[in-house]
Amino acid sequence: MNFDKELDARGLNCPLPILRAKKALTGMQAGQVLKVLATDPGAVKDFQNFARQTGNELLQHAEANREFTLYMKRK
Amino acid sequence: MSAAYVTWGAFALAFIFGAVGNKTDFCTMGAVSDWVNMGHTGRMRMWLLAIAVALLGSSALQLAGVVDLSKSIYPGPNFTWLSYLVGGFLFGVGMTLGSGCGSKTLIRIGTGNLKSLIVYMFLGIAAYMTLRGLFGAFRVGVLEKASLTLAPGQDLPSLLAGASGMAKATWTALLAAAIGGALVAFAYASKEFRSSFDYTLGGVVTGLVVVGGWVVSGVLGHVAEDPNTLQEAFVATNSGRMESFSFVSPLAYTLEYLMLWTDKSKIVTYGIASALGVIAGSAAYALATRTFRWEGFRDAEDTANHVVGGILMGFGGITALGCTIGQAITGISTLALGSIMTFGAIVAGAALTMKYQYWRAERLT
Repeated sequence: MNFDKELDARGLNCPLPILRAKKALTGMQAGQVLKVLATDPGAVKDFQNFARQTGNELLQHAEANREFTLYMKRK
Repeated sequence: MSAAYVTWGAFALAFIFGAVGNKTDFCTMGAVSDWVNMGHTGRMRMWLLAIAVALLGSSALQLAGVVDLSKSIYPGPNFTWLSYLVGGFLFGVGMTLGSGCGSKTLIRIGTGNLKSLIVYMFLGIAAYMTLRGLFGAFRVGVLEKASLTLAPGQDLPSLLAGASGMAKATWTALLAAAIGGALVAFAYASKEFRSSFDYTLGGVVTGLVVVGGWVVSGVLGHVAEDPNTLQEAFVATNSGRMESFSFVSPLAYTLEYLMLWTDKSKIVTYGIASALGVIAGSAAYALATRTFRWEGFRDAEDTANHVVGGILMGFGGITALGCTIGQAITGISTLALGSIMTFGAIVAGAALTMKYQYWRAERLT
């Protein structure tokens, strides 16, 4: 999937992945896609809630080798 | 009853809490984070539901004469208001830097998070230093000087009974019904909360575990007259008082027990068993669901955050007489004024730290 910006949140635990994603999204244009790499076990649930609350769209998420890759579309 | 009933009872309840906390993602720091950072209140409602269940259940035990909550550390007349505020605030800062409070640290250890193991070590050492060491001198010599005596006790039923003339038991029933009922109503006012079984499971089980904790210590562990001292006793406790769940001093006493293993006067207490039980319950759930995974530090800043977080939680938790479980659920179940004040200070400390972290993220991205 194409993306406009990447955030490496691997090795960080709650609340930092969400905080840094929130900050990264504020500097992006509507429709642009942020790719997030994370290892926090709660990352997917956190980003699902974040998307529901903020209106940014969680386009896709996948897990491979104990790493989560998530794509968030800026509202 | 023997001490074994108390320690195994505490272990069993803590095991349930650890497993359910892992499954439902019960996290008091996460509750503040979700609320402050994205306006999501699901986990905050879960926490408040746990408080409501603990309050309603504990008050029922009190009114039925099963336990006497005034025998715990929370409703005593010594109202150390500055300690509640400073300790609670620093605990809130610490749990944000350390990726979770004391109980979440134990749950994370059970899932393979080595960062939380380091937090445990520093939290335990700092807690011990605040109980009996260097930090303790500051706590007693400075913070606890700012105190009031609220006779006959700082719990709201005692205070209101003294002011109104109405019986304490009546106030206990009225306040438990009003506050507990309001919290339950608030939790279930959310459609999303109602639709998620995990939210109800996490809140109800955590609250019931605290209620069960009072029964274990206050009934199974109660000795009306100790044959050695001829005084009332609660066996297998570090405080000598009736206990339920709290996760700061037990971490210190677990380290002490391991270090003084050959000292036969040291025993596995209620608190030690509860700390080990949470880790075991969380690990059992993680292994059963194949979600166990090793996690380590990302970099030097991540390491420093967790070390400082552990120290602040150890100091803050002992100073404030408890943590997000110890004061904010177990303590509030006794309706102690200091517990309610500590709850507010913890949330404030955590929320402000998250605002700092957001500002810090701006510099890093």
